Amino acid sequence: MSGEQTFFERNYFLLRRLHSLSGIVPIGMFLIMHLTTNSSVVWGAINSRELHDTAMDRGVATFQHEVSFINNLPLLLLIEIFGLWLPIAFHAIFGVYFAMSGSNNVARYAYQGNKRYALQRLTGYVGFVFILYHVATLRWGWSWLTPGGTQWSHYFASSTLAAALKGSGGEWSFAGVIVSLGYFVGVTSLVFHFANGLWTAAITWGLTVSEKSQQQWGRVCAALGAGVMLAGWSALFGFVFLVDHDRAVAVEEQMVVEKYGPEYLEKLREKYDLEPEMQASAIRDAADRPYPGPAPKLDD
Amino acid sequence: MAGNNKRVIVVGGGLAGLAASIRVAEGGVPVDLFSMVPVKRSHSVCAQGGINACNEVARQQGYSEYQHFDETLYGGDYLADQGPVLEMANWAPRIIDLLDRMGVPFNRTSEGFRDLRLFGGSLFKRTHFAGATTGQQLLYGLDEQTRRFASEGKINKREFWEFLWPIIDGEGEDRRCVGIVAQDMRTMQIQAFRADAVVMATGGCGIVFGKSTNSVICTGGAASRCYQAGAWYGNGEMIQVHPTAIPGADKCRLMSESARGEGGRVWVPRKKGDTRDPTSIAENERWYFLEEKYPKYGNLVPRDIATREIFDVCVNEHMGIGGENMVYLDLTHMDPHYLTEKLGGILEIYEKFAGADPRFTPMKIFPAVHYSMGGLWTTYTPGDYQPESPAGIHNPGDESPASTAVGQGMEFGAHNNMMTNIRGLYAFGEVNFAYHGATRLGANALLSCIFDGLFNGVSVTNYVLDGVAEDQGAATVSAAVFDHAVEQEQAKQAQLLATVSDSGSTDPQFNPYTIAGELGVEMTAASTVVKTGPRLEQCLEKIKELRERYSQVKLGDAAAWTNQSLSFTRALGDMLIMGEVIAKGGLLREESRGSHYRLDFPDRDDDRFLKASVAEYNATSGESTIMWKDVQTALVKPKPRTYGKVEEKEPAREEAVAASGS
Amino acid sequence: MSNTATNGQPSSAAPVPTRTVTFRIKRCDGPGQPTRWEDFKVPVVPSSNVISCLNWIAEHPVTASGQQTTPVVWDCSCLEEVCGACTMVINGKARQSCSCLIDQEAPREGDVITLEPMSKFPVVRDLWVDRQRLFKGLEKIKAWVPIDGTYNLGAGPKEEPDDQQMRYTLSTCMSCGCCLEACPQYHKEEQEADWENAFVGAAVLSQARLFNAHPNGKVLEGERLDALLGVGGVNDCGNAQNCVKVCPKEIPLTESIAAIGRAATVHAIGRFFRGK
Repeated sequence: MSGEQTFFERNYFLLRRLHSLSGIVPIGMFLIMHLTTNSSVVWGAINSRELHDTAMDRGVATFQHEVSFINNLPLLLLIEIFGLWLPIAFHAIFGVYFAMSGSNNVARYAYQGNKRYALQRLTGYVGFVFILYHVATLRWGWSWLTPGGTQWSHYFASSTLAAALKGSGGEWSFAGVIVSLGYFVGVTSLVFHFANGLWTAAITWGLTVSEKSQQQWGRVCAALGAGVMLAGWSALFGFVFLVDHDRAVAVEEQMVVEKYGPEYLEKLREKYDLEPEMQASAIRDAADRPYPGPAPKLDD
Repeated sequence: MAGNNKRVIVVGGGLAGLAASIRVAEGGVPVDLFSMVPVKRSHSVCAQGGINACNEVARQQGYSEYQHFDETLYGGDYLADQGPVLEMANWAPRIIDLLDRMGVPFNRTSEGFRDLRLFGGSLFKRTHFAGATTGQQLLYGLDEQTRRFASEGKINKREFWEFLWPIIDGEGEDRRCVGIVAQDMRTMQIQAFRADAVVMATGGCGIVFGKSTNSVICTGGAASRCYQAGAWYGNGEMIQVHPTAIPGADKCRLMSESARGEGGRVWVPRKKGDTRDPTSIAENERWYFLEEKYPKYGNLVPRDIATREIFDVCVNEHMGIGGENMVYLDLTHMDPHYLTEKLGGILEIYEKFAGADPRFTPMKIFPAVHYSMGGLWTTYTPGDYQPESPAGIHNPGDESPASTAVGQGMEFGAHNNMMTNIRGLYAFGEVNFAYHGATRLGANALLSCIFDGLFNGVSVTNYVLDGVAEDQGAATVSAAVFDHAVEQEQAKQAQLLATVSDSGSTDPQFNPYTIAGELGVEMTAASTVVKTGPRLEQCLEKIKELRERYSQVKLGDAAAWTNQSLSFTRALGDMLIMGEVIAKGGLLREESRGSHYRLDFPDRDDDRFLKASVAEYNATSGESTIMWKDVQTALVKPKPRTYGKVEEKEPAREEAVAASGS
Repeated sequence: MSNTATNGQPSSAAPVPTRTVTFRIKRCDGPGQPTRWEDFKVPVVPSSNVISCLNWIAEHPVTASGQQTTPVVWDCSCLEEVCGACTMVINGKARQSCSCLIDQEAPREGDVITLEPMSKFPVVRDLWVDRQRLFKGLEKIKAWVPIDGTYNLGAGPKEEPDDQQMRYTLSTCMSCGCCLEACPQYHKEEQEADWENAFVGAAVLSQARLFNAHPNGKVLEGERLDALLGVGGVNDCGNAQNCVKVCPKEIPLTESIAAIGRAATVHAIGRFFRGK
């Protein structure tokens, strides 16, 4: 063995285990939370605290509440940078590096485990590209990459998201179809990658040693994966097929007004270049109600 | 320690070779270990049954090392010199302990002690085992220790190197072995290696018989080369044939006798050449010939009888299955679950290699050549146990006449222990003729191999350190001696390679593989289970013809890189000489003893043949001559070997389960 | 018994070949030489296996198109699937050629059997590959029990039957290389200098577990794990689990890998808090 080891070689074990760990905490945990939150656009329909008439309106409102809650967390940017972006970058960069040390031989050895091995790597690549697109367009505001140039706003979470998926204004465009399919593939990949990674992590760390325990843990991971997958798919289905753009905007504007008052909504409209006539009724309805406190600055 | 440049060469990486390497390296002498295969793949892996040793349980039932010694002599029909056998039996428990410490996974009792099984030739449980692959496990234990020594630089492994010739310096009494010529089987480089002692641990010669239970590397080529270089070859005619093997297109694989022990029945269809499916042949149309001929013992007759009867039915009466040399070994009348539980492992082997499930289809089996008791002739220094007169019959519980102290049978560390007639050239393991006499007891082979390495490895070390004067070391021998040896081998190789391009006949009779095939068929037919003078003479004629044809052999591959045909063809020439020694010994031994059964001389003849046949090669004429050397019988008086046949007492069921032989 | 004495070869009554099978064999004259495919039409009998067919080709080295060629070179020894030597890739899968029966692998007339050398090891010639790296791996992890010498020091430690069974199963590994051939994380490394940082593979990891499980072999557990924490060690396993599927001895290789993973976790944490 040579005496001169690189930093990478010296800390190889630590890096491998951090890579494994980071996929579960924080990334995996975030994935679960994120998809649960997003699927609230569907399960919010049964949220009795929302007083809207239609199930979909209640869903939109629930989702809006969730999004608002997250966006009001203190030090959100720091949490994002250190809790998400850096871990994801670490997991992705090392993941790609490690994955490149493998070679696919499913054609010769078409065992189920081998297919999962190959899929784990494939979904890693796909998932990483998807996350980049997802964050860049919806978080960093690279709206030139969204169909119709939609800019996502956390004040209008459902409507702008539906628009960013299907095309501007919520009407299907060709680009919208592609993006929506891309989301389906991306979300599916990430959920598989997480559930399968959770299964292999238990082997890597030596939690499941016997074949039996590996099988049992496999069933747990499969069930968890199925649950998260259901959340992810239902969220996507909800935004793409169930959310009515205009009604959603109405609900969201009403919530803005309720929370921050009508002037604030006007400012938002200027900033986001929204069309005033579409939301008129919502503002009227909301104007009568008291709003809870001072509005935040429009600086984000 | 060896503060000089003395070295030892060990040829062969099976149990004997590895044990020797470890022991010599431990003694402080660097070892060069040569093997044709990575040592972990040596033929020792094939041994299944176990390894015999006296143990506390058996001891408290009246067994002893001495009884083990007595059984081994009796089994071998008293053809082995007795001292070394006593020493081996005395060392057996120590060897088991050592293997145990090396981590060999011996089967355990519920209390955690080493488990034991019953084996042939004894009424006591004295066989230690590790699953169904004891030989493999023992070899791995030694392989691991060898790897450890190799990593410390004390053993230099040369795998994929073929031993070509021993280098012998001096004349007459001064002859001594100073190294070897070997060839890298990949690069084909031929090179001489100096050593102050050379240990041959190259195993048996089953491939001389074509299809046997041996590995393909067991050609006997290395032993034959030493023989041609002047080493004597002892008891070549003593070849053990195992009664139940699975005939394959490439080799015969052992089927443990426990199949018969658990109730397996041997039969052939009553109608000659009946080709019906065996399960559709009615009970009254089956000939259970062992049960019919031996109503008392039935299928559990002793090995040699079972073997001879199966031969008789197939070869003489042509009653084998579909006219082939095979009989049924039938377990299908038994409960499949019981069979799985009792015989799982061996049934799997059959299923894997014969492609049929023996729980539902009768197995097809036939005897096969298994082990060579004969080998390079070796000598030794007798030990301290020197009774005034040989002991008589020893019964369980009797006090042992000899103690178990080190050096009772053979002097520990004496330079000449298991040394051939050439000074500095040793023979260990199956290639050593010393321990098993005329036939070998099951589960004694592994023991003799490891014993040779461990006990006599010390002799090698002592010889090298004390027996070779500084100014006589191999390092002082002129380089010309080594160069000459290399040149000879190069010339031999060049001659063989030249046959590829020469315009000689492409007649298949000069094809080396054809010649080898014919040798195997002839040797098996004439010189295995049943032998007669005329047939052996015919066999010698055939070998002569084959040697004649071999002199015009035509090689099919001229490659200067990894030329296996060359290696095989070169070994074929040595196998032909080996075959001649075996057949000639059989012809001249006009008696029946152990595995050697002469139809024309059916009785043991101690007056004429309580002697080892010792073959000597005349390099000028290419002829082998047989000398007869007295067997040392000062410790135990030979008595008739009467297993089952004369004694009226029913042999223990387990006794016949016996001896899957390994 | 009758009074003639002619012993027979098992098949000396020569079963008549019932059909022919085509062998497609990937050949290569040596390292760095080009590869080529040669076809052979080989007559087979019901007991034929790949070895007996290669033997037949050695005796009749003529291709299906009638071209004279050289005998095929391959590695083999015991022919009982216990030495591991004759491993090759048969119809795409790594396995021992001795236990590959023609009637099972190619049951129909006209079936083709493809033979290739293992792809993860450097080819020596034709089907013969150099598996030295595998044995080097065993040396790297000190796959032995460090006994105090071969002197007579009494028995080894007592052991429970279950532990013995576990060790025996692991100890039946014959270093054949099937698990490595099937492993998507194990790659051919021609140069010995590159072995150090290349994945050791399932067989070696399982042997580390074997010796860690022995009461005295355990003495070296720390050194074994140190050797397996780095690049090419246990972390390089990708959990494809092909190894356990192709192992001819049905050794629970994936359990061994997980067990080493667990030991490595504990060892690394311990090392961190011990500070060495």
